[in-house]
Amino acid sequence: MSLITDHILTWVTFLPLLGSLLLWTVIRRDSHARIFALAVALADFVLALHLWFHFDSGNGNDQFVEKVAWLFNGQISYHLGMDGISLVLVMLTTFLGPLTILSTWKAIKDRVPEFMGFFLFLQAAMLGTFFARDMLLFYVFWEAMLIPMYFIIGIWGGQRRIYAAVKFFIFTMVGSVFMLVGILYLYFQAGSMNLADFLNVSLGHEAQLWLFAAFFLAFAIKVPVFPLHTWLPDAHVEAPTAGSVVLAGVLLKMGTYGMLRFAMPLFPEGVEFFAPAISILAVIGIIYGALVAMVQPDVKKLVAYSSVSHLGFVVLGLFSLTPLGVAGGIFTMLAHGLSTGALFLLVGVIYERRHTRQISDFGGLAHEMPVYATFFMITTLASVGLPGMAGFIGEFLILFGTFGSETLPHARLMVILAATGVVLGAIYMLWMYQRVFFGKLSNEKNKGLPDLSLREIVVLLPIVIFMFWLGVRPGLILDRVETSVAVVLAPLNGGPLDQDGESTHHAREAEQESETDTPVFVVRDTENQ
Amino acid sequence: MNEFIAPNIGEQWADLLPYLIVGGGGLLVMVVDSFVRTLKKDHLSYLTMLILIGVVIVQIVGKRTDGEVLGGMMIIGDFTRFFNYMFAGIGVMTTIFATGLFDRDGKYRPEFYPLLLFSILGMMVLVASNDLLTIFLGLETMSLATYILVGGVRGNIRSSEAGFKYLILGGFSSAFLLMGMALIYGFAGGTGFNDITAALKTQDPDVLIVGLGSALMLVGFGFKVAMVPFHMWTPDVYDGAPAYVTGFMATAVKAAGIAILVRFAILMQPQLSFAWYPVLSVLAIVTMTMGNLVALAQSNIKRMLAWSSIAHAGYLLLGVVTMISPPAGGSGMMMMSQEVGESAGSAILFYLVGYALMNLAAFGIINVMSHKPGTDADDINGYAGLSRRQPLAAATLGIALLSLAGIPPFVGFMAKFYLFSAVIRAGLIPLAVIGVINSLISVYYYLRVLVVMYMKEPEESSYRGTELVSVVTSGVLALLVIWLGVMPEAFHRAALVIFRQFQF
Repeated sequence: MSLITDHILTWVTFLPLLGSLLLWTVIRRDSHARIFALAVALADFVLALHLWFHFDSGNGNDQFVEKVAWLFNGQISYHLGMDGISLVLVMLTTFLGPLTILSTWKAIKDRVPEFMGFFLFLQAAMLGTFFARDMLLFYVFWEAMLIPMYFIIGIWGGQRRIYAAVKFFIFTMVGSVFMLVGILYLYFQAGSMNLADFLNVSLGHEAQLWLFAAFFLAFAIKVPVFPLHTWLPDAHVEAPTAGSVVLAGVLLKMGTYGMLRFAMPLFPEGVEFFAPAISILAVIGIIYGALVAMVQPDVKKLVAYSSVSHLGFVVLGLFSLTPLGVAGGIFTMLAHGLSTGALFLLVGVIYERRHTRQISDFGGLAHEMPVYATFFMITTLASVGLPGMAGFIGEFLILFGTFGSETLPHARLMVILAATGVVLGAIYMLWMYQRVFFGKLSNEKNKGLPDLSLREIVVLLPIVIFMFWLGVRPGLILDRVETSVAVVLAPLNGGPLDQDGESTHHAREAEQESETDTPVFVVRDTENQ
Repeated sequence: MNEFIAPNIGEQWADLLPYLIVGGGGLLVMVVDSFVRTLKKDHLSYLTMLILIGVVIVQIVGKRTDGEVLGGMMIIGDFTRFFNYMFAGIGVMTTIFATGLFDRDGKYRPEFYPLLLFSILGMMVLVASNDLLTIFLGLETMSLATYILVGGVRGNIRSSEAGFKYLILGGFSSAFLLMGMALIYGFAGGTGFNDITAALKTQDPDVLIVGLGSALMLVGFGFKVAMVPFHMWTPDVYDGAPAYVTGFMATAVKAAGIAILVRFAILMQPQLSFAWYPVLSVLAIVTMTMGNLVALAQSNIKRMLAWSSIAHAGYLLLGVVTMISPPAGGSGMMMMSQEVGESAGSAILFYLVGYALMNLAAFGIINVMSHKPGTDADDINGYAGLSRRQPLAAATLGIALLSLAGIPPFVGFMAKFYLFSAVIRAGLIPLAVIGVINSLISVYYYLRVLVVMYMKEPEESSYRGTELVSVVTSGVLALLVIWLGVMPEAFHRAALVIFRQFQF
């Protein structure tokens, strides 16, 4: 057992990769491929549970660290670690994995072993991205992730899948290559690719601005921040359901994760300089995404644009630079991953039955598919941020944190504008729901549609449970990210750092401050009662 | 140094064994071919591979001499041995690919094997040359054999046209090279590298003569490595030549050209880097940008890879530029400069090997794809649905192309990583930015082939040729592409040691 637990992060990361290699080489039968992929994803989730239960929430630094020299005599290393922020996203990834695979049971009929192989490869690359603590390793995972997603969209996608796949690939590459130059530049300043060493490099003002811009561009395209979002609707609409779920559920979070983990702590002055502009873009994204979502005739596209809006909230929260806003941002990442993932699964369900996603083709579905309508309702409410469900906590914390932000000019105006995004979100989601499910069953083709099958319920139920659970017990997550957020934000609060010890010192201070002053706990405690 | 010292080969035969084996082997293959008159020519291919493997074995177990041989005409060491291994490896791969195709189609080219060996001999001599005359001998031996390899497919008009074009333009470039040598000889009073170094040190160099001479020689080398603006032959020749020869040219000939360019740039560095540095910088930028931009518009996979090889020549030139870049100023700069030189040099060596692996894997697949004997599988659309019909071939070609695009976890990424990190270490950030923008552009055209292979359905006219040995060999190369992409450190360290030893 210790063989596994001693290198637990490696196992979690590379187990899916191992699975995908077997799927590509040995497994030929479709049914075998499905069961095998599901088993691998479940096993990975079990391994991730080990992380969840053995994680020390009081410690904001990296845990389960593994470090082996890789390149340049160990200046670049295979260095994995996990703090609370990574933990949350890893849990989300491994949790959605098996459910998504289960959802493809009937949807993917063509080249199943290949699909499952690419899917597990994608899982591995995403997990590696969240664990990597060496910049080159991070970059390798970050880029390697493009390959499976490209194939998933391009082979199993819809009509314009090739266009969408290439656009996805090129857009992401555009950002990343400049980040690579930035990483290399920092490498020669720091003398190693270790993230901790990067944090100790003292950079000039101008260098910080350039480097922040290079890093931010890479992450902003991934998020996507307005106006770099144009790849997202294409990719979402053309991707198969499973691809959309992973794209919305996890991939987009890698952008915000990257901002939080790298772009922000590494370049405090860059953050200071750009934060106002970024927060404006975030607010534009919130409102723009919501407005565009409102007029979409296609349900899937509507959900895609709602992602632009929700991720705008996350970016706003992160760049409020308050512990509360950042914690809210992380929470929203998780909540959005669950609710939007579920929405895409639900859209996939109806698409499998009707082969259309146009809102106008539906109406009165609630009569024919009551269980489906119920699941859709719950998910819709979670997505619009109904109190008591996961979406609410995150958005509330973000707005609350931004309101109290001292660094953002016009923070309060931003909050007001962002809050209209919440209202708009309720409008477009509920309006869509009304048009699809209520009224008379006007379209003949919708008569006699089968309701959710047991398999589909098994896929959706865990997600719905967690949407409620996290809504009433946000502490489950917030407890685990709090200290890590303090550590990550330490360079921003404490100014540029001199020594390694200094940064942890700051972290401890910030941690204690947050325990006494910030109202994170107030929110959580009231929710708990 | 003006008196002629007859080199005493008798004492140095052990040092020259690899060269003698290849040269003698080429003659042996010719003789065997004319006496063993069977229809199948498999024995020639085994013999050729045996000779090339013999070179490798002799180099491993044989005497390891470092230094000048043949009275200073050649210089051998780890650097030359490194390239000899590489040429032998590429030669073996090319032999496998060519023979696979000959066997499948039943059309043999017995002259292919000796010509391949002579071409490799030329490369080996070229890399080891320590004298302008040896450069010329090596370069011409290599080129003459390659001209025939390109144009010697009987009854194929495109091959003949390509061979002829290559011959004419190659002859033209050799004239430039010779003129440059003449000028440098006039300046240095000798043709040996040592004479040139000494002359550059002692006298105030006559900038006009040396500059012009080295510029003309640069034209000659630039032609061989397909550097813009001396690249015009590349698409036509790469397209017209049979794919196994194209793969050979894109990897071995280019490596030899880059190797001699590196050596010559270092030779000229002390006095002339002030001129070489800006000129080569501009040429590197133009080469990679033009290669990538034009490759975007190609619908023929061999032409596309031709332009891509021009672009990769540009990246390699970037390495050469970094190697000779003047120190950025400040204290301890000599150390710094040497470090930069080493990291750039080792990056070039690593890049060449990575590039050879991925390019050979790609051409190995392209070579056997056509199901009509005598034609090449060069239309990108002909690869439609390849992943359904031949998953192994499609995966191999896919990995090779993703690697060429510089996507991790393949060796192409690591090669670019080492290269760009050397460029940035030298402080040449604008050059690195241009380099990464270029590799970004390149992604698009490599992806197009993947789109066709994986995302389109096979059609009636799609290629479906196959040949098991070639495909498996390419598959093994693809595995190496992954292996070196994940575990490049040991190899890179070896390259570093080799380059350090070479800087004398």
